[in-house]
Amino acid sequence: MAHITINQYLQQVYEAIDNHEGSFCAELLSFKHPHVANPRLQLASPEEKCQQVLEVPYDEMVAAHLRCTYAVSNHDFVEAYKCQTLVVQYPFGISGDYFGYIFSSLPIPEGFDDCRMIFQAEQQLLRKGKGKLGDMLEKAAEQLMGCFRVCASDNRAGIDDSKKWGMLFLINQLFKIYFKINKLHLCKPLIRAIDSSNLKDDYSMAQRVTYKYYVGRKAMFDSDYKPAEEYLSFSFQHCHRSSQRNKRMILIYLLPVKMLLGHMPNHQLLRKYDLMQFADVTKAVSEGNLLLLNEALAKHETFFIRCGIFLILEKLKIITYRNLFKKVYQLLKTHQLPLDAFLVALKMMQVEEVDIDEVQCILANLICEGHIKGYISHQHQKLVVSKANPFPLLSSSS
Amino acid sequence: MNNKRASCRVSHSRRRGQPVERDFRQHHNQGVWREVQEERRQESIPRGVCLSMCPIRELQDREAQNLLHRFEVLSGTERERWPRADPSGVVKEYARPAAGKDSTRPSDLRPPAVLLKTVFYLVDNIAASPTLRPWTEVYDFVFDRLRSVRQDMIIQRVSGADCVAVLERTVRFLIYASYRLCGEPLRLYDPRINDTHLQESLSWLLECYTSGKHPNQEEFQALGLLYNLGSSRATQHTMELPERIRSSPVMHLALSVSRAFMERNPVRLLRLAHSLDFLQSCALHRHLETCRRDLLLIYSHGHSSKNCRFPLHKLAHILALDVPLTNQLCQAHGVEVRGDYVVFSKTSFTEPEAGKLQCAHFHDLVDRKQRDLTVGSIIHGCT
Repeated sequence: MAHITINQYLQQVYEAIDNHEGSFCAELLSFKHPHVANPRLQLASPEEKCQQVLEVPYDEMVAAHLRCTYAVSNHDFVEAYKCQTLVVQYPFGISGDYFGYIFSSLPIPEGFDDCRMIFQAEQQLLRKGKGKLGDMLEKAAEQLMGCFRVCASDNRAGIDDSKKWGMLFLINQLFKIYFKINKLHLCKPLIRAIDSSNLKDDYSMAQRVTYKYYVGRKAMFDSDYKPAEEYLSFSFQHCHRSSQRNKRMILIYLLPVKMLLGHMPNHQLLRKYDLMQFADVTKAVSEGNLLLLNEALAKHETFFIRCGIFLILEKLKIITYRNLFKKVYQLLKTHQLPLDAFLVALKMMQVEEVDIDEVQCILANLICEGHIKGYISHQHQKLVVSKANPFPLLSSSS
Repeated sequence: MNNKRASCRVSHSRRRGQPVERDFRQHHNQGVWREVQEERRQESIPRGVCLSMCPIRELQDREAQNLLHRFEVLSGTERERWPRADPSGVVKEYARPAAGKDSTRPSDLRPPAVLLKTVFYLVDNIAASPTLRPWTEVYDFVFDRLRSVRQDMIIQRVSGADCVAVLERTVRFLIYASYRLCGEPLRLYDPRINDTHLQESLSWLLECYTSGKHPNQEEFQALGLLYNLGSSRATQHTMELPERIRSSPVMHLALSVSRAFMERNPVRLLRLAHSLDFLQSCALHRHLETCRRDLLLIYSHGHSSKNCRFPLHKLAHILALDVPLTNQLCQAHGVEVRGDYVVFSKTSFTEPEAGKLQCAHFHDLVDRKQRDLTVGSIIHGCT
């Protein structure tokens, strides 16, 4: 593939179309195929050659694709993105059975390959100082939505040829973009579409893992921790063993959710996936050590913020308070605990400017959330806890 | 030569009569399509030349049709059948873009310097005027005219320091208005419309801050965070700001307030709220109702026992309200008050009936910060 001439390449494309070999045709237009590294195909103006061999509209489609390879070889990702956009638009113009063969195997997404190109184009534009962040991504998202609508409304072909198979892949690409431009609310209709589809369990595992990863992250963002745990756990368990990087990415979001539900990860897991940033956080939360927690959050702040989990980890403070106060209870061995004891504990953790009123508030909040069973007696300045199981398990009270 | 080839091709194609495609192909083959588009876009950004606050044409039209606003009329001519326009007081009004109407005529657009001058006039002579009444009418006028200023800015693609100066005052004005007009009847003031425009202007302003240096950035990042307290989007945005902005005293305080809200610690939040300045308190004030409700809910659960006797004056102190208002608030939430004590019970807490509590009655925390601040200084930011 890396040595064929432009004419040989075009001949292959022509034959693929003629013989209805959709998947081979798709490869010849895909960026994952070795032909893209072939300098003989990287032409700035391949239109004439394409017109000589191929018919409308394939000549333009292929010409756009070749221009794209040229642009990529020159690191002009903005141009490359524009060309690939054209490639993707053509199949929509074609209607009829002839097209069905090509389309169903393409599928359209091959032209978008992982959106990496789009992100690179975006970076370039920003560096040149043109365009707002997200402009290019929004346009790409619109394109993908167009593709998605065509797929979703495809009722003609039989289930094997249906464009509906392209839906999940497109949705995953759209999720990637929406997360990048921070417009998560746009994910909702897509999730609804998949939920109501009868194909949802029949897509490839890889696609389903990616889908659940994003849906899990969205649930986290909406503070729905139980569903988030389900989705992300599924994603983690079914993610292929060899995709270490992906597994790590899933873990980054699964860990905070699990911690909020009271399940702390062990060191082996953290070391295996190179996530030692969570080690101090885990230790702090389980010991009720607020000071260590604040230090750990500050130390790895940049990492946590970049991943978008800093705010969720801050929620662990409540769990940490609960663990700290449980220690106070265990130390004093009584069911009528003076509020002062908690104040002392908080001051030891160097919590700034906390007074007895705040202590009452924190305790009241813990009772309200179900983490403590009991009540506060203001007159006696004491916390009176239930004799049976005053600190219920976290997983039952979340 | 290209044209000939194009027409040859069409006869073999299954897709006849697709003129758009043909032009598309021609341009592509010429390879200059992209460059031409870019040039055309640069030339077409309108540049205004109107040097007064209102284009002459509009002034004359409105005067002739008796469509001048009360504040734009030459004093002494108000009661005449055709009041005369006061040229130093007529301001271009907002007009919805419509098909067939050219909103890009340079003579109708005001350049950035004039826009800023217009904003100053609106603030100093109208919003801050000690004589113009009622303030709901003042608000309507300034709101509309500021909207028109923003429209001119959008059409001319204004950016940078000029844009920031206009937007900062707009945001301050809308935040102040959200507080001052809180509680007015819906027909006179709609808080939702104010909110929509405030959010738009704030987003635009924060967008402007992403390039160049702006001395007031911390102030507005903090205002945005306080106004949007509890919003994950706003909080995440703030977390992604550079360290030096986040660590400034004003941001540090706003972040502490935000954290207290997220952790559901209303005692801490209300205590921190005492340290906010007037405008920040205005931004925060609509969340105080939720905050106080949270406190009553948490305490209803945390102190729930039959022997509960929580001093009313203590509760009032924590809620930053006086005793009568605290009493009223408790009653609205189903919290029992017996003389000088409150009896909390988790079963008796209820959400207040819609509309029963009027936020405006509980404004003391904000009110007392206004002291001798003038409206002008609040909006220009010279506090």
